[in-house]
Amino acid sequence: MALQVYTASLLKEGLVAYLALENGHPSWTSDIHQATVSEGDALDALKKAAEQSEQENIVVAPYAIDVLKTEDGIVAATKREQIRADGPTIGLPQDNLRESRQAA
Amino acid sequence: MYQYSEQDHQLLLERVSQFRGQVARRLKGELSEEEFKHQRLRNGLYLQLHAYMLRVAIPYGLLSSEQMRTLAHIARKYDKGYGHFSTRQNIQYNWPKLEDVPDILDDLAKVEMHAIQTSGNCIRNTTSDPLAGVARDEIEDPRPYCELIRQWSTFHPEFNFLPRKFKIAVSGATHDRAAVAVHDIGLRLVKNETSEEIGFEVYVGGGLGRTPMLGKVIRKYLPKQDMLTYLEAILRVYNMLGRRDNIYKARSKILVHETGEEKFRELVEAEWEKIKAGGLFLRDEDFKWVKGFFNDPAYEALPDQDADFENLMLSNADFARWVDKNIELHKQSGYRIVYLSLKTALQPPGDVTADQMDAIADLADKYSLGHIRTTHRQNLVLSDVQLKDLPALWEELKALDLATPNYNHVTDIISCPGLDYCALATARSIPISQAITARFDDYDFINDLGDVSINISGCINACGHHHVANIGILGVNKKGTEVYQLTLGGSAREDAAIGKIIGPAFEADEIVDAVGKVLSVYLESREDPEETFLMAYRRLGQAPFKERLYG
Ligand code: HEM
Ligand code: SF4
Repeated sequence: MALQVYTASLLKEGLVAYLALENGHPSWTSDIHQATVSEGDALDALKKAAEQSEQENIVVAPYAIDVLKTEDGIVAATKREQIRADGPTIGLPQDNLRESRQAA
Repeated sequence: MYQYSEQDHQLLLERVSQFRGQVARRLKGELSEEEFKHQRLRNGLYLQLHAYMLRVAIPYGLLSSEQMRTLAHIARKYDKGYGHFSTRQNIQYNWPKLEDVPDILDDLAKVEMHAIQTSGNCIRNTTSDPLAGVARDEIEDPRPYCELIRQWSTFHPEFNFLPRKFKIAVSGATHDRAAVAVHDIGLRLVKNETSEEIGFEVYVGGGLGRTPMLGKVIRKYLPKQDMLTYLEAILRVYNMLGRRDNIYKARSKILVHETGEEKFRELVEAEWEKIKAGGLFLRDEDFKWVKGFFNDPAYEALPDQDADFENLMLSNADFARWVDKNIELHKQSGYRIVYLSLKTALQPPGDVTADQMDAIADLADKYSLGHIRTTHRQNLVLSDVQLKDLPALWEELKALDLATPNYNHVTDIISCPGLDYCALATARSIPISQAITARFDDYDFINDLGDVSINISGCINACGHHHVANIGILGVNKKGTEVYQLTLGGSAREDAAIGKIIGPAFEADEIVDAVGKVLSVYLESREDPEETFLMAYRRLGQAPFKERLYG
């Protein structure tokens, strides 16, 4: 059975967030490495906590994603979710411009 | 440029304060996401892959320097210091916070801008020719007509909830720089052969997405007085008969296709008969009033030559290249139109930083009567630059990385945000555009290739217009891998055509080579440099390209 974590968008900021459950207390983090990983029936607790956060208007549209455990920690299984976790794969335009001017 | 009336200002302020209330209620939990979603989309606010995304309308692509400074201010204060100009001449911000959006809309309202009808199933921002009012091939300035359409379509109660989104483009010149054939309605200003009167050729049912279709000419000549009554008739037929049961069949292109051109025309004409003499009939005073906002600026009487300009053309090859590629003749002697290229290997196509926006606003004030235009190919235009100022302007643009000499050439790539930003994407598009730019970023090669377009979309919705590029690239997800399909032979101009898929898709690390092969077939097979890529493709057909790619 696949390992999964719960993800959503924060209502206020719209930013990507992952669910961490500690002693039954939910919190949302931008760092996928800090997300609580679960599988099978144990996922139910995550699902409940995520739905609760949605009802409390902390997050929007939570869903579970498949993740893999690697040497570097948790990695999302799909390209889409990797990009959501790490941000756009291209630099911000101003950073690229600055670097090229410094190199020149 | 159109100036808001008291009512316009009032309307906008009320709308912003309404939305401020809706955001507050959402944050307090009094509105559910399901309820709120419809409200935010009506104000141009999407929830994307990483954050909210706000799409701001730029009516027919026309901006004042003051508006550009506000766009810079918003990018800096509420976003990550940049914005993205889209193929429909709008700007998108990728990182606004929900709680800040009402303040952003307030700032926009102060400079007569907003995000209304930039999303949802309504009539979207009308787009037009970025050279409107200054082009040499112009029959008549399309902007007054765009403004009349804007006023008619904004908050039009009957068309507030159409079967699907609805896009209109207007072109006033012989060359089509507004892609009228791929809009739900495309209007082309034409001169009546017998009476010499100006009217419209009317196209309906164009669109891209998963079922690309070119618009059909529903009327060869429509007197301009009838523009709004006729648009109203088309919209009514679409609103009544467009398919609301299936989102993939809801666009006007499907209705026109399924109804048949002839039958659709009959339906529109029958509806038009009922309303053509009504309140939307345009009178002489209506034209006079709206045209008053678009009078020519006070051009100076200037010779069409300048010694310093000519000397620099001879002594500086880089300047001459820029002039050759990014400058267009102006209808007024002594003036030129300047394209600001937003296409370098450093920035995603269409992206502009806040600092660049401020600098562009200053350049517009200094050299171009305070106005900027956005283009369908995701570049910017300074429309009224004096010939003698070109050397100084070039120096300043170079320092801003806005002087790449590539307009309408191979590295002038259209690209949608793709999987780097878009929740609907199936593959990335920006890195592909950057890899292609890096590979072919050599002036002699670009120059030799001549006029050719590459457009990239990150999914079948085709926001990057890949169907109508000479070389189109569509990113697809094949069992978890991003692969890229090549389409050849499209055009978005007056010879509009939908390109054809050439064969199986390429992996990300193969697609740049594949584009290189397509370009070399052209270079080896063209009859002479006058024969463009598209002309050669039309003569040769798919076979030699297929052979080189897959043989
Ligand atoms: C990132 C947020 C975006 C979303 C969610 C989005 C969504 C869509 C969808 C669903 C379609 C297909 C509509 C249909 O066929 O009915 C579409 C088409 C289109 N979009 Fe976007 N889009 C986005 C960004 C953009 C951008 C950045 C541009 C300009 C570069 C753009 C311009 C267009 C155009 C020109 C079309 C195709 C023309 C047409 O058939 O109307 N969109 N978009
Ligand atoms: S074409 Fe697809 S990936 Fe690109 S912006 Fe449009 S919806 Fe997103």
